[in-house]
Parts: sequence; structure tokens; C-alpha cells
Amino acid sequence: MGLLSILRKLKSTPDQEVRILLLGLDNGGKTTLLKQLASEDISHITPTQGFNIKSVQSQGFKLNVWDIGGQRKIRPYWRNYFENTDLLIYVIDSADRKRFEETGQELAELLDEEKLSGVPVLIFANKQDLLTAAPASEIAEGLNLHTIRDRVWQIQSCSALTGEGVQDGMNWVCKSVNAKRK
Amino acid sequence: MGCFFSKKSRRKSPVKEPGQTAPKQYSWDKREKVDPKDFMLTGVKDATVGRLPGKLNGQQFVIQDCENCNIFVFDHSATVTIDDCVNCRIVLGPVKGSVFFRDCKDIKCVVACQQFRTRDCKKMDVFLCCATQPIIESSTSMKFGCFQYYYPDLAFHFKDAGLSIFNNNWSNIHDFTPVSGETNWSLLPEDAAVLEYVPLPDSESEFKSVRISTEVNRSIVPMTKGGRRKESEESCLFVFFAGDYTTANARKLIDETTAKGYTLIQTKEVSMRPEDVNRVFQNNKTIFVPTGPVVALELNGDGVVEACRSIANEIFNGTKVFVSENKSSASRDVDNFFNFADMQMGL
Repeated sequence: MGLLSILRKLKSTPDQEVRILLLGLDNGGKTTLLKQLASEDISHITPTQGFNIKSVQSQGFKLNVWDIGGQRKIRPYWRNYFENTDLLIYVIDSADRKRFEETGQELAELLDEEKLSGVPVLIFANKQDLLTAAPASEIAEGLNLHTIRDRVWQIQSCSALTGEGVQDGMNWVCKSVNAKRK
Repeated sequence: MGCFFSKKSRRKSPVKEPGQTAPKQYSWDKREKVDPKDFMLTGVKDATVGRLPGKLNGQQFVIQDCENCNIFVFDHSATVTIDDCVNCRIVLGPVKGSVFFRDCKDIKCVVACQQFRTRDCKKMDVFLCCATQPIIESSTSMKFGCFQYYYPDLAFHFKDAGLSIFNNNWSNIHDFTPVSGETNWSLLPEDAAVLEYVPLPDSESEFKSVRISTEVNRSIVPMTKGGRRKESEESCLFVFFAGDYTTANARKLIDETTAKGYTLIQTKEVSMRPEDVNRVFQNNKTIFVPTGPVVALELNGDGVVEACRSIANEIFNGTKVFVSENKSSASRDVDNFFNFADMQMGL
């Protein structure tokens, strides 16, 4: 049997691979979340200069997660990663009230993007471990999430640092991907 | 599908609709509520303010809209944001996560943190200890020097914040908005005296009881040359394998070599597995099995290898160490080790 045919048999069927885009403002906790999903050490994370990718197994799916740097200067490059995205995860620093407006704006622009139309979005209200963190309900209200009509969405409070709430968010991700595939 | 709490419900506990399970409770739902104002400094002018040891205890801290203040945070914290501050002098005790300055001007500070970030800042002098590469964005006239500070609880605060005094990337800054023909950042003069930038707290303030020192040899974080030009072509790699006294031993080595006129270029504290040891120290018969993180130091100066080897013999006999054998192998040792450490500590 040729090597190529063996490889074809071993490769998981395309149906099971999910392309996830991980976006949000700089300092939001995207890379910490990515490392947490991959069960890796999160004690020494550096600000992302380009992007990071990891493949994570979750509930029978192979999640290919793209974590893109969120500095203002490099947000124009986000659109380079939109194509073929199955799901968007948007991370918000719930304890950085000064930037709520900015993050709301970036999210609104993403939801307006042609190439992301209909793509389910999971909003992680991250950094709930911090004192001044706003609860998910307050963030949902401030972002007017209830006006989203063109796709399924969910807001999930979490602490990427401790991992609390992360799995609950990922459970929704797998459910949504399943629903879309049917 | 929506959020868990509706605006109409003012009850403390989640509303339970028939047929629906109550929304899940997380640790942040159950914890005792504190007043966020206790962890914020807002709109202070012309004053000496901050927090004494034990007052923050690893919580988040927020500083905003302060002008002409001396701000001293003598405790470890989770993360600190500093917004819209002008003409302030700031000392931040070890921060477990990120320190983020936004829209600040004329700041002189001493900071220890995991990540250092700025956006839209102008004219900042920073004495820094940062575990990862510091980044700046849309900021100009930013100057950096090596962290240099001591107060009695500082060493404990480093531990509490999970920061190593040996992991300090203070001199290699990444600029997200470089301008061709100009540099937005540079290094502070090597002999810059911290006190000329960030004075001691007023003797009448609440901080008068804190015994501070800004002397180089008392600094909790060793002074490293970092990216500054080396004085000699000869360097030496000195590695302490894990033991109870690794930190003390490293400090002793620094004192001994400094006294002899050698300079400390860089240090790293990193975990190594046995196979890493074999690969990094290939040409050496080192067979130590690391039982914890190793501490590595690059020392520099003419004759430094010989000096280090005799120090190892005289003072560290019986301690598990690695010392470069000669000047040419030393150059390889340094590259091999610090490349390895960078890989370990990158993603």
C-alpha cells in the first residue's frame, strides 16, 4: 500500500476538523486561553507579536485554534484569517472597564464582516478572577448582544488563568459546530 | 440563547424558571464582595499615595487620572493598569500578570512584572524587571534601565507573584509602531541613579516605615548589562543546578565576580530535563540530573573564565555547577544555553 493511501486512511475525516479564530483586544487573555485549552503551562506567556496556532482534541473534534495578536496596529491583519472560519471566539478582559467601548466596537465590526457572516461566536468574559471584573450579564448588556440575530452566540464568564468556565464555553462550541454540521 | 441574568431580576440568587436548571455558580459568584475602590487610585493630584505591604495581597490594582503624584505600591498584585497619568513617579511591587500603561506622559517608574505593555504613552523612564519581552505601541521617548530596588518584603513579593529575579528581559523592547529613521525607545544611562528619577517617599507619609534601598548591590534583582555593548570579547557561562541554596549561591557568585571587576550580562532561571542537560552541555561530562530549575549566568571580562573556574573550585566545591572550560567553548556555551532558555520560555 502506498504511503499516500495510508496517510489518507489515518487522516481524520474533514468533517471533524474545526477552524476556530481567537480574537479580542491586546492583553485580553487570548494566548492564556489557548495554552489552557492545550493543557499547557500558563505561567510564562509573552505578548503575541504575530499569531499562535494550536490543535486541540475536544469531544471528538480536532480544533485548529488561531490566536491572533490584538494590538490596535495589527488588527487590520485580522481579516487575513477570516476565510473558512467555523467559529469565532472573542475574548474580553472583564476587568478592564476603560476599554469596554473599544472592545465593543471591534466586536461589532467583526460581526459586520462579510467573510464572517453566520459564523457562531462565543464571547468569553475573561479575567473573572480579578476584583473589578464585570459580570457576564453586564458585559452582554453593554455590548447589546441581544441584538445579534444573524448567528448563534453565547457569552461565557471564565478565568483562563485558573481554567474555570473554559470547559463550559468549549462545550457550547462543540454543540454549535455539531448543530451547524447537520 | 442569552446571558444568565436578566436586567429585571434584582434578586441576589439566580431566578429559577420551571423546567430550567439554575444557572451555574462559579467561584466569582460565591466569593465575598469587596469594594473595588479599595483597589483603585483615581484622580489624585500632588500627593504621595499607594499601598503598604500586605494591603493588596495579590489583587488587581488600577491607577487612573493622577497628576504630579508619587505612587508607591509596596505589595504584589495580579495585574496593574495605569491610565491617563501625567508627571508621576511610580514604584510597582511584583505583578503576576501584566502592567499596562495607556495615555500616560512624563512617568518615571520602577516596575517588576510578567508582561510590560504601553500604548499612546510619551516620555517614560522605566527601571524594569520583566519576565517576557516588553512591548510598546504608539509610544515615544521611552527609556529603559535594569530594575534596581530593595525593600524588606520585596523578595517575598517576587515569590508571591511567581516571578524569578533571574528572568529579566529589560533591554530588548518590541515596538509595534516603529518609525523609520527614528527610535521610540532607548536605554537609560548605565549609571542612572534610581533616586534621581523616583525619589524616596516623603518622610511624613505612611511609607516612612518602609526601609527602601536603591543601591545596586542591595537590589533584589541583579543588575544586568542586557543589550548594552559588552566590554570584553570573553564571556563565561556559569550554571547552578538545583539545590536549596541556588539563589544565594548565584548572588554570591555575582558579588565575587563584581568585586573582581567582571560584569553580569544576563541571567536565566529555567527548568531542564536530563535530556536537555545532555543536549545543551554536549561537550562536557556534566551528568547532573536537575531536581528543579537551574540558574544560569553569563559573566564578561578579560580573564573571566579563569576567574570563574577558580571561584567554582574555592567557593563552590561540592555544589553542582557547570563552568565554561575556555574562552572559545564559553562563547558556544552561552549561545547554546540562552537559545535553549529562549525556546523554553517562548510559546
